[in-house]
Amino acid sequence: MLRKILIANRGEIALRINRAAHELGIETVAIFSEPDRESLHVRFADEAFCVGPGPVARSYLNIPNILSAALISGADAVHPGYGFLAENARFAEICADHGLTFIGPAPDVIAKMGDKATAKALMHDARVPTTPGTGILSDVGAAVHAARKLRYPVMLKATAGGGGKGMRVVREPGELEHAYATAQAEAEANFKDGRLYLEKLIERPRHIEVQVLGDTFGNVVHVGERDCSVQKPSHQKLIEEAPASELAPATRERLHDIALSAARAVRYTSAGTLEFLVAGDDVFFMEMNTRIQVEHPISEVVHDVDLVREQIRIASGEPLSFAQQDLTTRGHAIECRINAEDPSQNFAPAAGTLSDVALPGGFGVRVDSHIYAGLQIPPYYDSLLAKVVAHGATREEAIRRMDSALAETRIGGVHTTADLCRSVMRDERFIRGGVSIDFLEAFAAPAISGS
Amino acid sequence: MDWELILERARRAAEFCASSGLARFRVEEDGLEIEVRRAPRSERAPSAQTGAPASALPSTNGIRASEARPLSIVRAEFVGIVRLARPAVSEGAEVGGDRELAYVESLGIRNPIRASAPGRVVAVHVSDGEAVEFGQALFAIEPQ
Repeated sequence: MLRKILIANRGEIALRINRAAHELGIETVAIFSEPDRESLHVRFADEAFCVGPGPVARSYLNIPNILSAALISGADAVHPGYGFLAENARFAEICADHGLTFIGPAPDVIAKMGDKATAKALMHDARVPTTPGTGILSDVGAAVHAARKLRYPVMLKATAGGGGKGMRVVREPGELEHAYATAQAEAEANFKDGRLYLEKLIERPRHIEVQVLGDTFGNVVHVGERDCSVQKPSHQKLIEEAPASELAPATRERLHDIALSAARAVRYTSAGTLEFLVAGDDVFFMEMNTRIQVEHPISEVVHDVDLVREQIRIASGEPLSFAQQDLTTRGHAIECRINAEDPSQNFAPAAGTLSDVALPGGFGVRVDSHIYAGLQIPPYYDSLLAKVVAHGATREEAIRRMDSALAETRIGGVHTTADLCRSVMRDERFIRGGVSIDFLEAFAAPAISGS
Repeated sequence: MDWELILERARRAAEFCASSGLARFRVEEDGLEIEVRRAPRSERAPSAQTGAPASALPSTNGIRASEARPLSIVRAEFVGIVRLARPAVSEGAEVGGDRELAYVESLGIRNPIRASAPGRVVAVHVSDGEAVEFGQALFAIEPQ
């Protein structure tokens, strides 16, 4: 088993990893930026190193300082969490070069899956259904030609993309040239890689993803699916649930099978997620995330599995602690992301000091959070304040439990998404289940437009 | 050790030196060494004879409270192991602006630490071989 893990992250996920490590008897080393000095992840780790000032490029992405902290503290592994360096294949490689175990899949798997066009081609070869589309486009001319063949509407996507950046829906030929230029510029600015590809637009799909785990002995299991269709207009997830509601058993089984064969095809190790667009009975592979995800707790509570613990065990060279047949689905879980954002200002991030914090609790409620009253929210990082998870015997019970949990959630000093999430819990269409990814945009339109 | 604490101890040593009529007073405690010397009469601040505490300070080894200037703090930019230059810079030493005071060894690379401006070293906050983090104060220099 590993002895000491450097946690290359901040916020709630750093705390989550810290807990899992301590439960396994493993020491932890935190890293932090100057404005994060008073953070809980710093307080609860066994050691902590400041690695740079506020801006991420100089702190949480500062590979030399992070590695140096790992080496001088005598850590034998690095857990990257999500975001930051989690899907940086080069970082995973550098860790290995310095004798540190990177808690995640192999660097070449991260690299292949991180490049969306490559991942899609790879999945296509593994007979995983993918959205009809192209490889990397040479120029706008190639895009025009390909879009005509795919038939409109189409979607332009950045191969290095993520978080909805470098993505454009194109409904008519006349829009393509402008969309190509802006998507390319956005991808260039965000990922330093402006390469684009084209996909047939799947209208009103659901976003359903499958959690997988693989160990170094070749065992691969799936830990069920999550429905993440309640997304902000920027395609960032806001509310997730497990299992997916209103899904035909045959489709569910197909998603699980596809995920398993995809993970096996790349000899996947550690925790990963395969994201799919689901339209009726059609499923299309979208991308694979080679990290632990924000919404992992809902899978944990319905399957009674500690995914971060499994990641650490796998990285230690241990086999998975359970087999596929050991897993059962117990009830239903929902997660709401409480972000420091103003839904009425198109989810603009809100920085400030939290004047008041009261988080919910009780039977079936789990809160993963790093906040406390008086905490200053720095402007440099993502706006996640807390993940409220409600678990119930049925979906109905989970929704009601979430509704009262959100009523108990009091965060003063900044705008949050708590009230919006609560109104979703009371929405008829949401309660019916099976909403598509455009649900929130329509639902929150009056709020988002600010009127 | 905290700079404020060092200054406070030096001040008390200076007061004792002044009130006791000693020419020189040296104290060593918790690894901190303070030496206070009475300046020749011509250099002494006139108020020293009145015994007013704050301004009565005789010049100390590197600390002249009556003419305290903002200190220049030399900080670590890299996480690593600090190695003091040899011969080690000690408190009270006058250093040039480009003098290498130490280096921080990070991933096998020596990152030199230089005085930001010429001046007198009034505090060495680290010891040789210590692990340092980003922004950690290494030296305090009173610019000249």
